[in-house]
Amino acid sequence: MTAIAIRSVSKAFGGHVAVNDVSLDVPAGSIYGFIGPNGSGKTTTIRMIMNIILPDTGTISVLGRASTSAARDDVGYLPEERGLYKKMQVRRLLRYYGRLKGRSLASLDPVITEWLERLQLADWAEKRIDQLSKGMAQKVQFISAVVSKPQLLILDEPFSGLDPVNTEALRDAVLELRRQGATIVFSTHDMGTAERLCDRIFMIYKGQKVLDGSLDEIQARYGHDTVRVRAQGGRAALADFPEIESINDHGNSQDIRLKGDPQAFLQRLVLKAPVQHFEIAKPSLHDIFVRIARPTPEDLRQAGEAR
Amino acid sequence: MNRVLTVAASEFLTLVRTKAFIIGIFLMPVLMGVFIFFMNYAERHADTEDRRFAVIDGTGVLFEPVARAAEAFNRQSGPDDARTGPRFLPEPVDLAGRALDDVKVDLSERIRKKALFAFVEIPATIIDSGRDVSVRYYAENTSYERLPDWLRTALNDEIARRRFDRAGVDQALVATLTARAPLTTFGLMHRTAEGKVTEAKEVDELTRFALPMFFLVLMFMAVMTSAQHLLNAIIEEKMSKISEVLLGSVTPFQLLGGKLLGVVGVSLLLALVYFAGGVYAVVAVGRVDLVDPALIAWFLAFLICAALMFGSIFLALGSACSDLKDAQSMLQPAMILVLLAYFASFMVMRAPDSALSVGLSFFPTMTPFAMMLRIVMPPGPPLWQVLVAMALLLGTTVAVIWAGGRIFRIGLLMQGKPPTLPELMKWIRL
Repeated sequence: MTAIAIRSVSKAFGGHVAVNDVSLDVPAGSIYGFIGPNGSGKTTTIRMIMNIILPDTGTISVLGRASTSAARDDVGYLPEERGLYKKMQVRRLLRYYGRLKGRSLASLDPVITEWLERLQLADWAEKRIDQLSKGMAQKVQFISAVVSKPQLLILDEPFSGLDPVNTEALRDAVLELRRQGATIVFSTHDMGTAERLCDRIFMIYKGQKVLDGSLDEIQARYGHDTVRVRAQGGRAALADFPEIESINDHGNSQDIRLKGDPQAFLQRLVLKAPVQHFEIAKPSLHDIFVRIARPTPEDLRQAGEAR
Repeated sequence: MNRVLTVAASEFLTLVRTKAFIIGIFLMPVLMGVFIFFMNYAERHADTEDRRFAVIDGTGVLFEPVARAAEAFNRQSGPDDARTGPRFLPEPVDLAGRALDDVKVDLSERIRKKALFAFVEIPATIIDSGRDVSVRYYAENTSYERLPDWLRTALNDEIARRRFDRAGVDQALVATLTARAPLTTFGLMHRTAEGKVTEAKEVDELTRFALPMFFLVLMFMAVMTSAQHLLNAIIEEKMSKISEVLLGSVTPFQLLGGKLLGVVGVSLLLALVYFAGGVYAVVAVGRVDLVDPALIAWFLAFLICAALMFGSIFLALGSACSDLKDAQSMLQPAMILVLLAYFASFMVMRAPDSALSVGLSFFPTMTPFAMMLRIVMPPGPPLWQVLVAMALLLGTTVAVIWAGGRIFRIGLLMQGKPPTLPELMKWIRL
């Protein structure tokens, strides 16, 4: 079963094409990560899934229903730009958001209590939002997206600005929701989180889909051209190798992207400096991301002309 | 519909719980009471000075009566410690052979030194002449009218008395003969079904002024309270990025509908509180006849339309702004619309059946104010006019809600610079 099916969707604002002919299938029960640089079309895609803005062309069906508004009540949404009524009490606010999803107070109250306890907010239920710390407000915001027990949960940057303890708490909550059968889509800038949490990853860049698949598939596609090296002399030992395309310097070790054969490179490197560590590695999601999203000379030239 | 009611209930509760609303609903009548009391008090107590003035009496016989009249006047102003009016203190001027102009210059000098407030010069021929001779009143503060007004009456009474005496006419007889007949205003007579002629109602200040004023101020208050709240709420939602959360659950039209319904509820609550107060006051002064259910029904109908119409205008404009500062400039035209209707209503109050008033009452943004007043005030508009105005108002309300909803839909997600009028138009057509 498919939770979200996006078919050839495009959306332009004025002359700017924010999303260009994107298709995507999110299987039910999966955790799908949306990644991409700022302004690449992530939020626009999410807003279209939420039916907040309509695509110019293409179709989107959510939870098997063609009109997203029909599925709205079964979708929980945490927007990137988040907000709470400052003067409202926590419990009243959560009830309001839940009722907007068509849930009855009787069914909401136990869920609200359970979540507040789980995220250590039970003592704050009757406090006003403006009396909460930023982290607490973020947790309340997260609860507001899940009180309706949605089948599909869409989280736009759910972990940004959270301390490690709260990040951990929310991550556990997300995994728990998935165990209960929910499908979760979240966007993030944190590649580490995406790698650890997501079953599948979707990357959008300049409005176009550039990656879509499981981490293994993606890493396989980006091949084994990454070599992790620790050689005496560090980075200096790596000078004058024409086959090195780029170096990601970690200080004690360097991740190198090679054009040629790693074995031939190793033979030449050994002649130059003692090698302590040599590993043919899968590229990290971070590396893949940077590789795709690093501005090309063409981009820089255009930016220069625009200026 | 359920969602609309959820939004409406939340809006309603949020608004009636604000301190501003609770204070406002009670403070407004208190402020009005204080204002009226202060006006009254100021009128009675602001002018309690001694007004000393000199009298150059050319006739030699008018000073004494003026002094007597001044004493009578001062008695009316009350005793020293509880004075409610000024005290007029005349003093005679003896020329003692000096030139009149010298004396007048001296007196002017005394006025400049604040030893004197004014002086009058009564020409010797004033009793014998007709209108061509004038009493001359000199003062530094020429805008103070109470003294010259009083002097005019006091002198003329005495001069007339002397003229009648000289002509051999009895003063008391003249008073009876020239007594003015009073005129009292009434409404129209009715003949009931049983053929009984009902007493025409006496139209007093209460019906002519207080009742229309009550309705006018209440309408204005309700519109301003709801519009102000909607604007603040929508900007808060935009600034704290709540709009998008809401749009993830409800459509923009459900949101708009809920908010409008919420403020209609608040307006009705406001009306209810004030009607209760009004009925209590009317019963207290024994004028239950002023309570007219038809009037209240019309008022509520106009109130609901006004809340919806102005509410959607303010919501649409508010949704197009990203902060309060933008909103303030954006709102000026809408504000002027409300204020214009409010102030034009005073014109309507003066002449409810003039062509201008009739015209104004058909203009949709004015209708809730102007037509309401025309209904409250006799003779009252013909029913067809009320119905046509109501139909126009309803049509406009629906159109404004529709257009407002379209702006709202786009405005909610817009950030940054507020749109220009042509851009707003484009949003409506989009």
